[in-house]
Amino acid sequence: MSESLIPAETLERVGEVLSGPITTVIDRREAQRYAYAVGDENPIYFDEVAAQEAGYRTLVAPPTYVTHAVVQPRTAADLRTDGLYREGTRIRLRVDRVMFGGEEWDFLEPVCIGDEITATVRLAALDQKEGRKGSFVRQVRETTFVNQFGDEVARSRMIGIAR
Amino acid sequence: MSTDTDTHTGTGKVAAAAAPDLASLEAGQQLPTMHKFPDEAQLFLYSAASHNPHRIHYDREYARFEGHDDIIVHGPLQGAWLTQFVTDWAGPAARLLGVTWQNRASGLPGEELVFSGTVTSVDSETGIVELEIAEHTSDGRLLMPATARVRLPTA
Repeated sequence: MSESLIPAETLERVGEVLSGPITTVIDRREAQRYAYAVGDENPIYFDEVAAQEAGYRTLVAPPTYVTHAVVQPRTAADLRTDGLYREGTRIRLRVDRVMFGGEEWDFLEPVCIGDEITATVRLAALDQKEGRKGSFVRQVRETTFVNQFGDEVARSRMIGIAR
Repeated sequence: MSTDTDTHTGTGKVAAAAAPDLASLEAGQQLPTMHKFPDEAQLFLYSAASHNPHRIHYDREYARFEGHDDIIVHGPLQGAWLTQFVTDWAGPAARLLGVTWQNRASGLPGEELVFSGTVTSVDSETGIVELEIAEHTSDGRLLMPATARVRLPTA
């Protein structure tokens, strides 16, 4: 049995809010800029009539756009050498690096242009596992997105693999 | 099954008329494959639109320093393509309920990326269809295994 990669005080943080709540209004130009950048010109993102014919209140945003919409403006002085922004809360683990393992999304209600979305990020899980290349920690950051009606519209779980 | 809709380049400009018919859909059926051709401009546009300043997507020297072969395609961009792959197939009246993906390897600019998928279950009462999806390079390297859940119109 190998040594724990998760310090006891870090394990106690499971469930803690890591960032947010952050509220933002879904902007038509930004959502469409995103859809163009993906190369996804679905009419429900661009054509009000097409969106309503498809059963939406108004234009919708691409499914995972909501996670980018809530990125806060930051000064370039906050960039680390790898180009990512310094995080306010670090999760201390006995590891060298954290890789993106994947994402899991639930889309519960449409996110429409003009919606006011509030995002809250929590440390949802930390589990040490044994893999072919030794021990690693599966770290899950869950973000919940709630709209102006109080409905949860989406939930994302970002899986980090720390070893 | 071979029709002129077997492959597409994924513009997202889907026609409602081409949407799958729930009544004739069954497990094992394959979706038309989607092809994407990311280049440096594509990576730049996505970094900008998603507010992502991570250096591995635009700084070749830095990306190689981190052990990558080149600058790499963003995981969330490939994730957005997975959702597009499903919504292009399912049509505008369908609702995407969920997706999952795993980052297995990195796509590089200049590579052709191929999205393929199979129906794994169909519930004709609720309209909920489950899919198993994979993103490969055109030479067969698996980048992302994925799943999706979508609700097709029942009427």
